[in-house]
Amino acid sequence: MNDALIGIDVGGTYTDGVLFSDGSVVHSVKHRTDEDDLEGTLLLILDDLLAHRRAKDVRRIVLSTTLVTNLLATGRGERTALILLPGKGLPNSAYDISPDTYFLKGWIDFRGRQIEAPDPKEIEDTLKKIHASGIERIAIAGKFSNRNDSHEKMLKKTAESLYPHMDVCTSNEISGRLNFPRRAVTCYYTAMTVRDWNRFADDMEAAIRARAPHCELHILKADGGTTTLAASRKRPCETVFSGPAASTMGTLALSREELNAVSIDIGGTTSDISLLIEGQPLYASRGALIAGHLTHVSSFAVSSIPLGGDSAVYTTDGKLEIGPMRLGPAACFGGEVPTVTDAFNIMNALGLGNAQASHAALSRVAQGLQVPLDSLCRSIAGEVVERLAQSIKDMFRLWEDEPAYKVWEVVHKREFHLHQVIGIGAAAPAVVPMLAERMKVPHFLHRLSPVANALGAAVARPTLAVEVHVDTGRETYSGSPGGLSGKVDKRNYQLKDARELAQACLKQVCADRGLADYADDAQIYSEEQFNVIRGWEQEGKLFDIGIQISPGFIREFKGVEN
Amino acid sequence: MIFFPAFDWAISPTHPEREERLLYTRDQLFEEGIMDMPGVTEYHPRLATEKDVSRVHFCVPDIESRVTTAHMVSAGCALVMADAFMNKEVRNAFAIIRPPGHHAMTVVHGNRGFCDINNEAVMVEYLRRTYGVKRLAIVDTDVHHGDGTQEIFWHDPDVLFISFHQDGRTLYPGSGFVEEMGGPLAYGTTINIPMAPKTTDEGIHYIMDNLVMPILDEFKPEIVINSAGQDNHYSDPLANMSFTAQGYAVLNQKLKPDIAVLEGGYSIETALPYVNMGIIMAMAGIDFSNLQEPDYDPSRFKESSRNRAYIKSLVEHQLAAFRGREAVVDKHRKEGREFWGSSRSIFYDTEYLQEEQRLDLRMCPTCCGFRRISSGCAHRSGRNYSVECIAIPAACCPDCVSRGLEEYSSLKKKKSGDHIYLQDRVNDDYRTFESKAGEETVV
Repeated sequence: MNDALIGIDVGGTYTDGVLFSDGSVVHSVKHRTDEDDLEGTLLLILDDLLAHRRAKDVRRIVLSTTLVTNLLATGRGERTALILLPGKGLPNSAYDISPDTYFLKGWIDFRGRQIEAPDPKEIEDTLKKIHASGIERIAIAGKFSNRNDSHEKMLKKTAESLYPHMDVCTSNEISGRLNFPRRAVTCYYTAMTVRDWNRFADDMEAAIRARAPHCELHILKADGGTTTLAASRKRPCETVFSGPAASTMGTLALSREELNAVSIDIGGTTSDISLLIEGQPLYASRGALIAGHLTHVSSFAVSSIPLGGDSAVYTTDGKLEIGPMRLGPAACFGGEVPTVTDAFNIMNALGLGNAQASHAALSRVAQGLQVPLDSLCRSIAGEVVERLAQSIKDMFRLWEDEPAYKVWEVVHKREFHLHQVIGIGAAAPAVVPMLAERMKVPHFLHRLSPVANALGAAVARPTLAVEVHVDTGRETYSGSPGGLSGKVDKRNYQLKDARELAQACLKQVCADRGLADYADDAQIYSEEQFNVIRGWEQEGKLFDIGIQISPGFIREFKGVEN
Repeated sequence: MIFFPAFDWAISPTHPEREERLLYTRDQLFEEGIMDMPGVTEYHPRLATEKDVSRVHFCVPDIESRVTTAHMVSAGCALVMADAFMNKEVRNAFAIIRPPGHHAMTVVHGNRGFCDINNEAVMVEYLRRTYGVKRLAIVDTDVHHGDGTQEIFWHDPDVLFISFHQDGRTLYPGSGFVEEMGGPLAYGTTINIPMAPKTTDEGIHYIMDNLVMPILDEFKPEIVINSAGQDNHYSDPLANMSFTAQGYAVLNQKLKPDIAVLEGGYSIETALPYVNMGIIMAMAGIDFSNLQEPDYDPSRFKESSRNRAYIKSLVEHQLAAFRGREAVVDKHRKEGREFWGSSRSIFYDTEYLQEEQRLDLRMCPTCCGFRRISSGCAHRSGRNYSVECIAIPAACCPDCVSRGLEEYSSLKKKKSGDHIYLQDRVNDDYRTFESKAGEETVV
């Protein structure tokens, strides 16, 4: 029976893998990550998992990797030219994205009308300059290219015909959302990483095909959904920050309740907090922040605070300090200095590792402060819980204070009513019960939470969002990502026609990405309709429809028992 | 900044104040990504409270039935900006909001010039009450005379109101002439600058440099508010001026408003996206030299020599009038009158209402005086309202406060009028007395 699912999450320190079948985790593995050989690490885990189930029984493998995140964060991406067609507006100095940025003529307005045409001579000269400087990757972004991508397309065509060896990306293929700088950055990062990613994809594909020739191969994205390896080849950027996404999806997979919850992943040095609203993870409203720039990569809103189980406990000038640095593991696990975990270990008699060592290490601090050991532990725990609770409340407020553009949204002001605190990560069992008590809600811990991340990857379903803009006055529509466009009939065009068009666009993009089976899971998540009035007469209508397959689980996943 | 386009509110489907008005501005601001720029923060709107509104307006019969929720949010947005500025979270603030407010007057029987309540005035009284601000200036750069704001602060010597606009003989609301200088005890703190149709950037900047800025320097307000209408633009369909997006940006660079609040502007495709960008860039200190409208042509608008001469004489006249204001107020006080009365008719264009109003100002020897307003108007419902209002400004002396309160009590006793209103800013106390039912409501 080919029902087994494999999820592998490459983290900064450890790589986790699970083999999931028939409602339970059959096997899980953990290895140290070798940053210089991600493929080796991945295959090590994979082979370990495949030892527990025949390869032909595996239906799907999902990988979550740090490859692109690392390339971008460390600036090791390849040199890439950025060609911008910004028209008029912000000064060119506002676009501090690439050291090799070129500004060209070409101006499109918000309704997709061409105000100024590109200059073919200028384009050729620029491409020549880029070529002469040895650059082989080009990102092209035009303001309002999401409403009319003809300039971007023309540039791409010219570049590809003159310099066939170059990799050329256009911004509208990557995202159709408004926000030109974010589109430009996302396109730039895509062009920068596309070759490395494809090299990795080639290797992985070959290695996995050799082991399990018929199984589907997916990659986990920042939005908690998967994409096929083939589709990821054009959009490597979407694979950033898949680690936190894997954890959040894992949390959801374990809890499976449509509650307002906080998911808190308490690691060694940091705690990652994310919000679940009626069971749906909250997105970063401004897109993922990558290497200092906001992008159009949709990712979960994760607040990382420098406080974890291994945060050191020490004193300065007779005052108790907790973190933010980590000076090795907790004393109970053989560390030199006492940590947050040690304090909880003693206070709640958790019996972690060598509890005597926790005692000894914290007693030294207690003596220095001249307080009894148990009251020291209580102060440490209290302080940790207080800081976490504060960060959680800050996140509620950020969500509640998102800008609103309709009267309805202001009258029905958002308020976050917390139902549950869900803990994952090694130190969660120690900290989360007390934190939940502080927030006056129940807590949820699952025996599988140490491998929640890999489980999340294993059972996540594909996601895809498509946005369609219809302008009946101009009788045009544009859909993205993917650079869809065409004509619409002006007469009698209604909201339902726009919805149907969005459905059709989504189906087409699904088919292009090998996700046709999932198209029916899509739902409309935003719609706008405006009458275009000129001189008291209606000249047309504008529609903006967003449709998506939101983060969720593949159909066969029905939860796991605690 | 706060951006509140009220995408779910319109006066009527084809009205200039419709959902579409800030749509292209939204597209432009979002596409430019200006909210992501370092130094630009976007805030969440809130509703103004009935108390916020009562500090300024007498809504007949009450706020709930007179003011749309959209207007309450719009005014609330101005308050959010006031808080952000006063709490030093931001260096300056811009509320890009609709519906607008500057045609709304003290007494509100209905919508005037697309306005229910006056966003800037509600904000001014909030700033005074919450933060103890005393002296403020409002510079109204909308093409239409800010007659509502003028009327609200007509008797207030601590609020300098400067409006430049297209000449009232050629445009709604048909007021804002040179001789409108303020009430007897606040003379000279209302300054009108009626401009000839077709006036260009050059003309407006001459006025800025030679009249507005010098007056502001001399008045020394604690806070400068820009009532930032954008219909002086050459493409505006409701007016006839020749101002550009660059012109607006430079104006804001000169004026350096602490808080700007969007008013009118109905060229929703050609002007608003670019003018709003220009103002934000100027306020955020971003170089705006690369900003222009798609059809901009620098050689298109030239100031005529005739208009130059007119503007020059206008500026001289108004500067002199402003500088001579204290002598005029002194003269009025010395006349020794108990009350100063005036009567007028007010037209509500949106709803075709005609209000008849009588105002009596106490000519107090020490303060700006309290006011009594008697107002009558037949509403669209067919009901005829006759109301009495007592307004006690925050700067009133104790004598004016007690006389004002006495007046309110005696009106209540006499049950003169359908509703009797008290606006006591000194004690932050706002009441409505319904004569027929004999019931008093406290806001």
